[in-house]
Amino acid sequence: MSTLLSISKAILTIFIFSSGISPLYSQGYDFGEDSKKKDSVPVGTVTKYTFNTSKIYPGTTRDYWVYVPKQYTPDKPACLMVFNDGVAYVRAKGGARATIVFDNLIHKKEMPVTIGVFINPGTVIGNKGSNDNRRNRSVEYDSMGDAYSKFLIDEIIPEATKKLNITKDKAGRAICGISSGGIAAWTAAWERPDYFSKVLSHIGSFTNIRGGHVYPALIRKTEPKAIRVFLQDGVNDLNNLHGNWPLANRQMASALEWAGYDSKFVMGTGKHSMNHGGAILPASLRWLWRGYPGVKEYVKEEIK
Amino acid sequence: MFKQLIPFLLLTLSMAAQDMPLTQVLLPNEGWEKVAEGYGHTDAAAVDAEGNFYFADVAKGTEIFKVSHNGEISTYAKGLEKISGMQFGPDGKLYCCQAGKVRQVISVDKTGSVKVLAKDVQPNDLVVTANGWIYVTETKTASIIIISPEGKFTRHKTKMVRPNGITLSVGQSFLNVSDHGSDKVWSYSINKDGSLSNEQSYMYLRTKAPMQVSKGDGMATDAYNRYYVTSEIGIQMYDPTGRMGGVILNPLGKPVNSIEFAGPELAYMYICGKDVIYRRKTKSKGIIPFNKPVAVLKFKK
Repeated sequence: MSTLLSISKAILTIFIFSSGISPLYSQGYDFGEDSKKKDSVPVGTVTKYTFNTSKIYPGTTRDYWVYVPKQYTPDKPACLMVFNDGVAYVRAKGGARATIVFDNLIHKKEMPVTIGVFINPGTVIGNKGSNDNRRNRSVEYDSMGDAYSKFLIDEIIPEATKKLNITKDKAGRAICGISSGGIAAWTAAWERPDYFSKVLSHIGSFTNIRGGHVYPALIRKTEPKAIRVFLQDGVNDLNNLHGNWPLANRQMASALEWAGYDSKFVMGTGKHSMNHGGAILPASLRWLWRGYPGVKEYVKEEIK
Repeated sequence: MFKQLIPFLLLTLSMAAQDMPLTQVLLPNEGWEKVAEGYGHTDAAAVDAEGNFYFADVAKGTEIFKVSHNGEISTYAKGLEKISGMQFGPDGKLYCCQAGKVRQVISVDKTGSVKVLAKDVQPNDLVVTANGWIYVTETKTASIIIISPEGKFTRHKTKMVRPNGITLSVGQSFLNVSDHGSDKVWSYSINKDGSLSNEQSYMYLRTKAPMQVSKGDGMATDAYNRYYVTSEIGIQMYDPTGRMGGVILNPLGKPVNSIEFAGPELAYMYICGKDVIYRRKTKSKGIIPFNKPVAVLKFKK
């Protein structure tokens, strides 16, 4: 590590600790090879768009990004993976580096050729200078019910993929999110298992922000839905007015296992951050996409 | 290095103005104190530019009462029946809903002179913006009545069951309205032309039991863009993103109809319930709704 980098890292660590934000790079999880850019691996394209014509969330504006792998050809339907809080996942130098991971895993045939749609939550802009915007993230992500799945399936996905050939097979459609975006990913699949069959949740907020703490109980007393679920959390995650994140994720994992879901739960040591989930993203995606036609036979690996 | 953190910081910073427990509002050693008693049905909590508190007796009274910072109660206006909601406007006039059989929206100036702004309506509660626009909940028609500064009348139909309490966001960009007949508070953009749009159910109100209604009633906004809604189970507090922060227990044992921050530093939460007015000192502070919009305060631990 260069001196400059270590100094800036030290300053950053102080800043982060003093502001109460969980440090991103000091929780003991590092990126593996599959999260690093490689000259020999074809790089997909990432294009940024803005969406502001929602009828389900009227007046909202949001950015979204579409990742198209180099291996995509219009004559062959591609898989689809949606990411909530898109900006947190799409950045090549962010905590997840999802597009680099996609490049690497698609190249190695450890996941199928998959279009990534990285969607930010909406904002309704208010009067200038007052910091009075109406932030729609909690409404969209924390709410139970079918509004967000409708927004995805009927509004933004058709727009984002209008020039792309996306599979009609639900086995080829996944959704991922962090924190409230994690429970939102679960809610979208729970409401529309005919559309999303795979869920990846990082530090998911299965707590009582808007009632989502009841999912473990619902799962246990509902005929199982065909959803494959990967949950990640850390023992040092939040414990606040909405609930206790590690306990809530344990409840979810236990309910999914008890009800017979194809599920996996990885509990690390991290806080409320992308650090752990980002580091294990390649292994998580291999587990999630295992068995999909054209993907290499899954080799069981330890994910921790 | 710094660039790598931008998305994470954005995500985290965007979280900074949410997840607000009641400890951000309540002072541990400050309980409720009785301000006034002996009325029929107190309602219509309001605040003036100096932070004095106002209320009316909607059941049997015809007066509007003013409560000074040190608790002195005086009569501000007389001969006004059935006032169920009121607020001052930027012009210093008091704008009032007259419910029951009176059915009108009026303004009262400092001399007590009354002007009728809308007749044959069924108003419940109202707010007045810094630009002089008046927004009135009309519970029975599930509408919000809009009266322009020039007096033009519009009725905006809502998706609500019984729109009741009404309050502005700190920057006056949004109107938030409690639905007495469901479990929601709805939010609306206030457009430059005074019209409303972007109707969104923004907060979930807790109900006494599943499948019941919230009886969401009076609303107030504090300087941090937190929202307060009186309801059957108590005063429900929400952060600016619409997440519930907690329920402040109702000290009265009877419904609280109306709520407003007033008093010294606007730090006191005043509530109207049946025959009494109570207040409680908080860590927070209110807003003067008819003043020019200000920036949202940031909470410091």
